[in-house]
Amino acid sequence: MSHTVLVCDDAIFMRTMISDILTQAGFEIVGEAETGLQAVEKYKQVKPDLVTMDIVMPDMGGIDAVREIIKFDGTARILMCSAMGQQALVVEAIQAGAKDFVVKPFQPSRVLEAVQRVLG
Amino acid sequence: MDLSQYAELFRTETRDHLLTFNRLLLEWEQHPDQPEPVAGIFRAVHTIKGMAATMGYARVADLAHRAETLLDRFRQGHRAVTDEELELLFRTADALEALVEASVGGRDAAVDVELLLGALDDAAGAHAAEPTARPRRISFVAAPVGVGRRIEVILRTDSPLKGARAALVLQRMAALGTVLAVEPAPAAIESDAFDGRFAFRLDATADAATIEREIRSAGDVDRIGIDAGDAVAEGDRDAGRTRHLRVDLRRLDTLMNVVGELVTARGRLEHLAAARGDAALAEDVATLSALTQRIQTEILQARMTPVWQVFDRFPRLVRDLSRQLNKQVAFKVEGKEIELDRAVLDEIGDPLVHLLRNAVDHGIEPPEERAAAGKPAAGQIVLAALRDRGAVTIVVSDDGRGLDRAKILAEAKARGVVDGSTDEVTDDLVLRVLGRSGFSTAGQVSQVSGRGVGVDVVLTRMRELGGSVEIKSTPGVGTTFTLRLPPTLAIVPALLARVGHERYALPLTHVAETVELDAGRVTRLETRDALLLRDELLPLVHLRDVLQIEGEPPRRRPVVVLQLGDRRTGLVIDRMEGQREIVVKSFRPPRGTLPIFSGATVLGDGDPVLILDAGGFA
Amino acid sequence: MILGCLLTQPRWLIFASFNKMDDFSGRLLLFRIGDLACAAPATTVREILPPQRATRIPGAPPPVEGLINVRGELVTLVDGARLLGRGPGVDGGALVLLEWAATTVALAADEVLDLVPLGSVELEAREELVGIDPGVVQAVGRHAGRSFVVLALDALLGPLLTVQEDV
Repeated sequence: MSHTVLVCDDAIFMRTMISDILTQAGFEIVGEAETGLQAVEKYKQVKPDLVTMDIVMPDMGGIDAVREIIKFDGTARILMCSAMGQQALVVEAIQAGAKDFVVKPFQPSRVLEAVQRVLG
Repeated sequence: MDLSQYAELFRTETRDHLLTFNRLLLEWEQHPDQPEPVAGIFRAVHTIKGMAATMGYARVADLAHRAETLLDRFRQGHRAVTDEELELLFRTADALEALVEASVGGRDAAVDVELLLGALDDAAGAHAAEPTARPRRISFVAAPVGVGRRIEVILRTDSPLKGARAALVLQRMAALGTVLAVEPAPAAIESDAFDGRFAFRLDATADAATIEREIRSAGDVDRIGIDAGDAVAEGDRDAGRTRHLRVDLRRLDTLMNVVGELVTARGRLEHLAAARGDAALAEDVATLSALTQRIQTEILQARMTPVWQVFDRFPRLVRDLSRQLNKQVAFKVEGKEIELDRAVLDEIGDPLVHLLRNAVDHGIEPPEERAAAGKPAAGQIVLAALRDRGAVTIVVSDDGRGLDRAKILAEAKARGVVDGSTDEVTDDLVLRVLGRSGFSTAGQVSQVSGRGVGVDVVLTRMRELGGSVEIKSTPGVGTTFTLRLPPTLAIVPALLARVGHERYALPLTHVAETVELDAGRVTRLETRDALLLRDELLPLVHLRDVLQIEGEPPRRRPVVVLQLGDRRTGLVIDRMEGQREIVVKSFRPPRGTLPIFSGATVLGDGDPVLILDAGGFA
Repeated sequence: MILGCLLTQPRWLIFASFNKMDDFSGRLLLFRIGDLACAAPATTVREILPPQRATRIPGAPPPVEGLINVRGELVTLVDGARLLGRGPGVDGGALVLLEWAATTVALAADEVLDLVPLGSVELEAREELVGIDPGVVQAVGRHAGRSFVVLALDALLGPLLTVQEDV
């Protein structure tokens, strides 16, 4: 059975791209969220195997969303999607419980490596 | 390397972990069959062990290690914790605290924990049949400083955000054990200049293969070096995972003093600029003023500390007291996040201990008595911090039997606080009687509250802090103490009062109003003057007399009305010289100094001025 | 010349002017109170200030002049002459700031005389001193033909300044 993924990003472009990379690799996208709040709600609904999380989103940022999700499910597997120059934020996300991160611009091979590590 | 410079950091950090230890033990005690708190307790003890070993405090590390062994059994097993085991862990927390203090002071031999060590080993042994890990204890003693293994990691050169990657590695390692001595420092790792090489020490039971696998699983790892690591790494440093910086309070005090001087100098400069009428200078001075204001606000903010740092030790205190006295008490803490100036916070711990002790000992009735009175068997004590306009209020209330007013009245008469004909006991009178040293509300002296010390200590301390105390007590319903505190001690608005050639500052905290002294409305009240103010007779204190200032007072004089709780007093001065923000400084009063000063300050013109304590006149 | 440096200079400047010669700790500061030459170990002297008016502390005993402001720090000023029971007060040329019992005390003296290395001082036992309580004298010394008393600060200041908590 393929792994389920929740994709969180405020940009449709990014969501589409991540979904494409993951779908082609055989993952099942079970939800999308464009704010941190939505991410938390959707997570609670669909309980995916993996979450990809943008750091900067409206309503609730990615890091706070990580905290909320981890609070709800300590075993949640969250992959942060970061831009260069967001090092401190990524560290914060890791400390909040994120399991790994990838850096934009995305290279499909790197995204998949990270996903494998997180699910492994 | 010299570890002593880390001793203070070790002590404060350990204290935090011990608070957590105690808090979680209390939670566990509420639900002995639910193992949730165990993980947190284990972490706290484990962290203390690691830090103590790093510091070379072998006995602390050993005690923590034995406690950890017992806790580990609970982490793995699913049995509920027994009362005896909890008691043992509570004692361990106390012993750790004592041992830490003693070790930092170099006197750890003075603390005897042998019995406790044995008891912990027995408990761990009884819990699981396997023997306790005695050999590890020896290794601790033998190599107290070089904890764990030194691990070096080099990330792939093409790895983006190497700092975040390193953080990921460290996070995985922290799941295996305690990470210590990270090099370079966390700040350097997070900087863009970080080249992807870092090292740390790991205190964990996992084997090298497991460690390596975990490190690799963080991704982008090029090379890993793990050694047995007896050698102490250079720059052996605290892991410092927190993003806060601990600052020695004395540094902040110094900074505060300097800012105080800056505020004073600014005052002088403003004065000068106004006198010169130089517009350009005035503008620069205005800029300077705004900047000074900002620095002042920032430093005050840096000194603000949430009250939980003091409150968190109280649940344990109340629990122990109520057990000792065979009372049932539900203790509630509210407003833990409210912040107070660190200096104020440091001072209120003792008064609160007195009030909580009184509440458990004298307030809350034994269960039978409560049942007979139709109350629930468990009494309730609430400790709450509230923000009230500019001030912070701390309330200690109980739903116990209330104060014995007949006894207080008798005491008041015996001591001449009221005359023999009085039969009304106001809350204000209660406070005045309780505030006298030597008076005890206890029907009998118990080992907990002793004889009479308590409320007088609270009153004195609050007065020193420029705060006030109120009391409300209803027979059979309970007692409430309300402590009003300035949120920060350092800078307060004050009136400047002139008497003769001297000036004194009077903090606005207790000033209700100022009125003119109307000689036609002054009457004699017993031995004092009193002013008929609206429909109230206000007792007067002539500051000239108190300070023994000679000469004729001016004909028109103001009266500053001081209000402390329900009591009002009029302070007669010569002249008001306006209102200032004053920086409160302490001074060492020479013997014989009148007990009416709460500190001193320096005015804009550089002159020192004493600060009058409103409580000294009421 | 030395005295010129001493007056009104912060401590580090005083230090700076003597470091070249030898260890600062082995020196005594000599100052005059009325007709009495007094001395205090230089290690206890923080700095020397010109006289300034103090704010009275009501209730404090007579030798205590009050509080002075030393760059923002509040320091208790004690009149040397009244402290030693030698007249109505110094007509003071200098305030000697002494570090005593974890606090700073300013002692008003008439003038600062000299800073002398201990090596050049002959210390004598406390003899019969005219007009001064031997209990407040630690030692009697002689330097360049002049006799002076080394003040026993604990005995002098202890009774005046309580060692209780600050207010």
